[in-house]
Amino acid sequence: MADVLLEGCDLTKHYPIKKGFLQRTVGWVRAVDGISFTIERGKTLSLVGESGAGKTTTAKAVLLQEKLTSGSILFEGRDLRKFSRSQLAREYRPSLGSVQQNPWSSMNPRMRVRDIVAEPLVVNTKKSKGQIRSRVVELLEQVGLRADHVDQYPHEFSGGQRQRIAVARALALNPSLVILDEPVSALDVSIRAQIMNLLKDLQTKSNLSYLVIAHNLATVRYMSHTVAIMYLGQIVEYGGAEELFKRPLHPYTKALISASLLRLPEDEEKGRKQIILSGEMPSPLNPPPGCRFHTRCTEAASTCSQEAPPLRKVGANHYVACLRF
Amino acid sequence: MATTKLMGLDKVSGVKRPKSIFLNLTFIIPAVVLLVAMIMAIFAPLLAPYPYDQIALTDRLMPPAFMEGGSTAHILGTDLVGRDILSRLIYGAQISLSVALMVIVITAGVGTALGIVAGYLGGRTDGFLMRVTDISLAFPAILIALLFAATIGPGYWTVVIAISMLGWAPYARLIRGEALKLRETDFVAQARIIGTSPVRIMVRHIFPNIINPLIIMSTLAVGMVILTEAVLSYLGAGIPPPAASWGNMVNDGRSLLDVAWWISTFPGVAIGLVVMAGNFMGDWLRDKLDPRLRQI
Amino acid sequence: MSKVLLEVEDLHTFFFTRRGVVKAVDGISFYVREGETFGLVGESACGKTVTALSILRLLPEPAGRIVAGKVVFDGTNLLELDKKEMRAYRGREISMILQDPMTSLNPVYSIGDQIAEAVRMRHDLPDNMVEPEVISALRLLKIPSPETILGEYPFQMSGGMRQRVVGAIAMSCRPRLLIADEPTTALDATIQAQYLALFKDVQKKTNISIIFITHDFGVVANMCHRVGVMYAGKIVETATTSELFKAPKHPYTVAMMDSVPRLDHKDKRLYSIKGQPPSLMNLPPGCRFYPRCSVATDVCRKREPHQVEISDGHSVSCWRVQ
Repeated sequence: MADVLLEGCDLTKHYPIKKGFLQRTVGWVRAVDGISFTIERGKTLSLVGESGAGKTTTAKAVLLQEKLTSGSILFEGRDLRKFSRSQLAREYRPSLGSVQQNPWSSMNPRMRVRDIVAEPLVVNTKKSKGQIRSRVVELLEQVGLRADHVDQYPHEFSGGQRQRIAVARALALNPSLVILDEPVSALDVSIRAQIMNLLKDLQTKSNLSYLVIAHNLATVRYMSHTVAIMYLGQIVEYGGAEELFKRPLHPYTKALISASLLRLPEDEEKGRKQIILSGEMPSPLNPPPGCRFHTRCTEAASTCSQEAPPLRKVGANHYVACLRF
Repeated sequence: MATTKLMGLDKVSGVKRPKSIFLNLTFIIPAVVLLVAMIMAIFAPLLAPYPYDQIALTDRLMPPAFMEGGSTAHILGTDLVGRDILSRLIYGAQISLSVALMVIVITAGVGTALGIVAGYLGGRTDGFLMRVTDISLAFPAILIALLFAATIGPGYWTVVIAISMLGWAPYARLIRGEALKLRETDFVAQARIIGTSPVRIMVRHIFPNIINPLIIMSTLAVGMVILTEAVLSYLGAGIPPPAASWGNMVNDGRSLLDVAWWISTFPGVAIGLVVMAGNFMGDWLRDKLDPRLRQI
Repeated sequence: MSKVLLEVEDLHTFFFTRRGVVKAVDGISFYVREGETFGLVGESACGKTVTALSILRLLPEPAGRIVAGKVVFDGTNLLELDKKEMRAYRGREISMILQDPMTSLNPVYSIGDQIAEAVRMRHDLPDNMVEPEVISALRLLKIPSPETILGEYPFQMSGGMRQRVVGAIAMSCRPRLLIADEPTTALDATIQAQYLALFKDVQKKTNISIIFITHDFGVVANMCHRVGVMYAGKIVETATTSELFKAPKHPYTVAMMDSVPRLDHKDKRLYSIKGQPPSLMNLPPGCRFYPRCSVATDVCRKREPHQVEISDGHSVSCWRVQ
């Protein structure tokens, strides 16, 4: 059995919609609706989907920034619900790092690089000033920056360098899991490869696990070991990256892949069709009955609107939620 | 490839903008004005040619030295009871500036603290604090100050506390709005993820980012405080005579504007200069304090 | 082959700022034929958007100025027109779609009003003709049930729908050239695919010419007939899309293609271009890509390469290719 670091079991997050003077609950936004996943030590799990699919809510739940409606997160086999507050602060939180999408807004513009990178250490450890200083330098060098960058402010750096600073900050506490929320999508194309390669190198070197949130499938394929395709709060397909991209089974996965493949003018001339989904993702406030994807599905049958498909095992490490399969 | 002439490029790049001189002037002039005002305030007893309350009925309503009938003994003239305007202006700086400074420290401190707490914590705390702020804003300011002065008697601290009681609410409003915006920023989210305590987030992450509006508001408040003090003086609840403040000097001369314009005009000009210098200084400080603008 | 509608010749657009001269566009030339989509691809601050604004003469004055070059639209040099004459070209002949569908619509007017305003401004139509014109614009962009959508407001619509409305406004004056500046960057993958397919369809129906500005080589491949690759204010390579993807010649183009992960096979390790683009205020002498180029030689450092046509319609500015 693989070395599992973190496991999400049947995670659900419903936000109440309140209305009127008495703030009565009139409905629920089903942001995340019963998803499960495992993150192995030293491996990358990516959550893929369009905006509103529930990726970010899931990541926030792992980061303790969102209280789950139901479901549990197991960290090294232990249920987080059984952790006390101080246990969470001492044992769980320092094992996490987080890198956000936008390196222009993820840093306090009034703080110097030294303080930005040191913040997790100051807040969570009792290290001396000297220890913190040398650790900051060590971290900056690890991400390819120089020690003399410490006294500069974020605005003095380019987007790529800022994202390196963000990675250094995420690694400050020697975490075992780093949550990467669209880590390269705000960067220039020629810089993305630098950051992706840096992240992969750091993973190999420190045996880090990554939880990646992304919408760009090619990036996901390059970065991940396991991929979960999300649609409207649920996982529709889950599996090893190689298997999933070579043999996509869910119509939504197929459409996403088709939309992301390089398509040259001659493909059109040769009549190679691109799958173009009609319509848009319905509101999570009122998801369609049955399979949530049936309103846009190119292969939907009449049963799809009545019966919700369970996520079924179809291969060694390949699961799909589709009645047609 | 077509060889097109670069139209007028050399001309434009040759233009040297007088940027360094201009930038320096926006700093030097207000700095000099404020410095002069502060020196006047601190060294008033040494600088003033007469005591502020020396009455000389024979010399009353004497015009400034440069006018007909003026005398170099009273460069800026005298008032209704023959007190030297220059001396009163110098002593007045002491009171007006220190009242302004006191009030601004108190109101900015209280308003910022409440604003950050309300904005960052949100929810019921926010609701409660903002209702208190609304009530404070809704009260007729001058009336409260008058009531206050009537109960504990006019004087320096009465003025300071009376104006402060009314001045914190606009700060709280403004700062709360800023804190509300900052609460949603990625870097505050990041601080929360790291496990930073709310107090540290408010002090380390929110406060440094609201310094700009705080400074602008404070420099604008200089004028407001000095003028409010003048109104209070006029209503008999301000700095009691014979002490001189720029506010009560303006009021002293109000009814005599047609016969002795100098009584109100000189303190009025002093107020104007200090208020303007404060505003310019605020602009300059804001640019200096912002690391993003510092290098330009 | 259809005739050339727009020809940009040796365009130089500079920004004169307090800190110095920013050479945002530094001598670029390209043309667009009728019914053709020309892609301008490059990273942020390479001059793509400034090129578009220069064509429309909508640069932020007084800092931004076109200092040299020609923009010839259907035989007229737009740079020689006075302001009033130029206004007649905007919208009616040349239209533009901006990146962000959230901010390019006015939140306080209904969709119908916003399109009607564009329609009225450009055609001197009697009032009873405006609505059919608006509805046909909505139909062209395949906006479902156009009659009911007229009264809706931007906040009631999704990002994809809003961007269609933006497209409808741009198309409502029946322009001959459309400049689309990253129109799909803010959209989700499946919605982006819809939008691109829609625009190909619009082009087939109207024979409009399109300048498509993007940073995404995938979108270029999908949308454009010919492409200009921009780097630091210059077009470093121009070719037909098929040619560019089959045989890229400029080291920058090659590096960009190698540094983007592929979906159809697993990459071992991505090539990463070292460093970052140069400051447009302080360009390196010689070739602008020289400091980041893996095949640069001494001549690249000293002298700027000029554009050379290596085969029909394929031009490259690189010493290594000449």
